[in-house]
Amino acid sequence: MSIHPPQGEDRRLSPGEIRSVQFARAAMLRPGYVEADVDRFLDRVAEEMARLHADKAELRDRVRALQEQVAGTVAPEAPSDQAVRILATAQQTADSYVAEAEDFSRQITADARAQYEEQVRRAKENAGAIIEAAQEAAARMTAGERPPDAGSPQRSTQELEEQVAYLKAFGQACRTQLRAYLEALLADVEAEWGRADPGALPRPPVPPVQRGGRAPAAPNVAQDAAAGGDPA
Amino acid sequence: MDIPAMRASFAKAAAAGDEAPLFFYSHLFLSHPETRQLFPVSMAHQRDRLFQALSDVAAYVDDLDRLVPILQALGRDHRKFGTVAGHYPAVGASLIATLRHFDDRWDAALEQSWTEAYGLVAQVMIEAAEAASGQPPWWDAEVVAHERRGVDTAVLWLHPKPEFPYAAGQSVSLETDVRPKLWRYYSPANAPRPDGLVELHVRAYDGGPVGAALVRRIGAGDVVRLGPPVGHLAFDADSDRDLLLVAGGTGLAPLKALVDHVARAGPPRRVDLFVGSRTEERIYDRAALERLAAEHGWLTVTFAVSGDELSPLEQGDVGEVVARHGPWNSRDVYVAGPAPMVEDTTKRLLADGVRPDRIRSEVFAPSRLGPSLDGEVTG
Repeated sequence: MSIHPPQGEDRRLSPGEIRSVQFARAAMLRPGYVEADVDRFLDRVAEEMARLHADKAELRDRVRALQEQVAGTVAPEAPSDQAVRILATAQQTADSYVAEAEDFSRQITADARAQYEEQVRRAKENAGAIIEAAQEAAARMTAGERPPDAGSPQRSTQELEEQVAYLKAFGQACRTQLRAYLEALLADVEAEWGRADPGALPRPPVPPVQRGGRAPAAPNVAQDAAAGGDPA
Repeated sequence: MDIPAMRASFAKAAAAGDEAPLFFYSHLFLSHPETRQLFPVSMAHQRDRLFQALSDVAAYVDDLDRLVPILQALGRDHRKFGTVAGHYPAVGASLIATLRHFDDRWDAALEQSWTEAYGLVAQVMIEAAEAASGQPPWWDAEVVAHERRGVDTAVLWLHPKPEFPYAAGQSVSLETDVRPKLWRYYSPANAPRPDGLVELHVRAYDGGPVGAALVRRIGAGDVVRLGPPVGHLAFDADSDRDLLLVAGGTGLAPLKALVDHVARAGPPRRVDLFVGSRTEERIYDRAALERLAAEHGWLTVTFAVSGDELSPLEQGDVGEVVARHGPWNSRDVYVAGPAPMVEDTTKRLLADGVRPDRIRSEVFAPSRLGPSLDGEVTG
């Protein structure tokens, strides 16, 4: 083993090299190693130690930085069961308020819708019946029959036409008013809701009788049979 | 990983019912308060969904072929909620704390198994989310038009930015600032258009927070968020069989998109669209559909009412009206609407000899929270 690094000056000094180092013998007259060899070797040892010190310092810094990082993330220690219970109860309270607000809104909307549809249906039915009666009467009069309690035919026809027009307008007004009424109810519901600031809630399974036709109910066989084929 | 032991410990937590997810979320919010803002005010729904997802994971943990795609889809979808990789360790710690809390025989081996399993789950989800980072986590979409159609229905036109890639028949999740963190699924009612506009049909179900807000509170100029599109109706665009489309309620939307697809992209096929409603007044898109039928000779639109004797339209449940106009044996059939309507229509068509593999359907339930892990739309 030589004191010279095998390849280039950069090769680092290993403990094995130090242990097995062999210096050349000096001249016969001067016992000991060649001084220049020893000095050169000492230089390399010093360099190596300096490098090791630097490495060590750098690693120490890195360990410290990582420790700080770990301490920072782990810092929030596990919440106590008591804290978890308190937050859970608070959350449940919030959930139940939201659920109540939604349920309230659901009921009001459903009621309002049912009421609206029922009134529109009745108004349509009434209007239909009256128009039908008026048309029948008109048909009788044009056929020459005199209604038992009416004046001249011309006047009656005109009266009936006016009545029909009035009823049509009345039906339209009913629809408009009912719609406005329903809208107002819905706006109320929205206002209540805004106060409760709800989130999503599980909804009970949709009952077969639908509000607002979200789903056609189970097939109504009797009605289907009665309706028969009647293309639009 | 000791899978039977893990399933046993999960079963103990699941047996505690709502207590377990309640503990989990409280633990999570206390240890990482910044995660609270990712969730809606009411957590009731959220708790059901979390445990449903976890029990699916526990069920399929030894069937990776099945589990991995599910987790990848979950990971991608969670981007829209604002979930980042840093949230996963927090969730894992609270999950293990929860399992430990409900298991009186918890030990170090079990903790090790769960930590490993969760690590894998999180890794798959995070990697899928990262792989999807080419597309935005969500799209901001401006409401460019908002038309009220009747008391509880609205048709919205949205302009998503950047371009929103989807196919006719797919669904998208939507969130509005008026009801934060509540994502609901809707179907575009048009195929992709050159101008990028997306038409949505929204019905406000009684008590439903999001639909009501979209119908009554939102207007032109507001901005909503869209999540990535998901395939539900599995429209076979390459088939050239004629089409039978049967719609109930806002189930009309994806079917109208199919009509639009045929109009834009072909191939030419006859299309018969049946639209069922309880009353005539509730047919909310009638004018547009009649206009389409007038424009396209290949399209026939038939309206049916099931609870409006005074209407001159066809009377009866839409499934029954469809059956009356049959046979439909040569058609590709798509059915979308409320569950009873979809069930009834499918039953009648099968009875009339339509092959089951030609019928595709999608249930439109109130509050479409999204597809479950199996890809079904939940009610």
